[in-house]
Amino acid sequence: MGMAINDSTTLDILVQLNKRFEPDGLHEMVALQKEFQIFSAKHSLQSSFALLGIVPLAWSERRRWYHFLGQLKTYPSDLANVSGHDRIIKAFKDDLGAKEPLPVSFRCHNAADDPKVTVSKGLPIIFSLDTYVIVSIPTTPGRVARQQAAAIAKQRRAVKKSKK
Amino acid sequence: MSLSGESDGTSTALGSRVTESVYSDVEAYYSARVAKYGATPLGVDWSCQATQSLRFVQLLKICDFSAPFTLDDIGCGYGALAAFLTTRYPEAKIDYLGLDLSRAMVSRARRRFSSPDRRFVVGTASPRIANYSVASGIMNVSCGYSRAIWEGFVATILREMRRTSRLGFSVNFLSDAARAKTSAVPSANSLYRTSPEPWSHYCEHDLGCSVETIDNYGMREFTLLVSCDS
Repeated sequence: MGMAINDSTTLDILVQLNKRFEPDGLHEMVALQKEFQIFSAKHSLQSSFALLGIVPLAWSERRRWYHFLGQLKTYPSDLANVSGHDRIIKAFKDDLGAKEPLPVSFRCHNAADDPKVTVSKGLPIIFSLDTYVIVSIPTTPGRVARQQAAAIAKQRRAVKKSKK
Repeated sequence: MSLSGESDGTSTALGSRVTESVYSDVEAYYSARVAKYGATPLGVDWSCQATQSLRFVQLLKICDFSAPFTLDDIGCGYGALAAFLTTRYPEAKIDYLGLDLSRAMVSRARRRFSSPDRRFVVGTASPRIANYSVASGIMNVSCGYSRAIWEGFVATILREMRRTSRLGFSVNFLSDAARAKTSAVPSANSLYRTSPEPWSHYCEHDLGCSVETIDNYGMREFTLLVSCDS
């Protein structure tokens, strides 16, 4: 998300995720988890989402989406010593295996404010009184990330030049 | 039975010209899908591999995996069930035959999964009597036909499955309990939805079988497990 994948793809994926885990679709997700343990330590998020068909429509974007999911292994989370990738799997596994599973809402937050993947419970849908599990992914806007990368490259070049 | 035939039994007695027309339109529909989406769940109108597999789990409950058996897959598409059987039941001895109206589907299935005990043929009815037959999703897209015609077509398929299944067969239907929502892809108007009762009744009384209905697997549909006594 942000620089990792196109903004339109991010929106597309968020819609897919939120639709799939909305209250109406929850029974299906619970049944799938019960039968196949889709979310577990044995499977990467990439394979779980591929199995669920939660992928960008454009083939060219799929590789970037899968790469981003892999990158989540390097993200911190709100649990100590648990990566962002594993935190999301744990959130799904715990929720879908719960006695009373909740719908799940996916959102993004600014990585500059909090670099961690966070999981909480709340009322994320303004027009709904349903409590959701809220998974929030830290995101750096593409333009900002590119500017940061350019600044780092410039700094590196300057250091190199001064050594000569 | 409470199907929507114009009079008793009409929906189960489609003329051969109508039946051929339905087969032809169904073939065209699925050939177009696979041409557009390839050998993927979307190519056979399912939203993803996971839900497709969950349907297979229900359908295969008709089979006794403790002994070798023959299995016909009616409307096999690109052969997803053949792949599922290999993964889920690697030890099982299954003589599998996939049938589909669409040459394009069968050609993809052959390319991907063909082996001595995994065969695929183009056709409307099985050329053999198998222990079991299964059909996933083939009753769902009515291709714009009236409910009466489509139910006649469904009855024709069930009759054929009964004729070519020694021990039993299983089929799934979209449930009419929740019309607005479905995992399947096509527009809601072209989907056939129903309740278990009329088809369960049809299989018991017209086909002489016993039926178990499964409708608790989290999806807006149901599966009929139809056991044949003879």
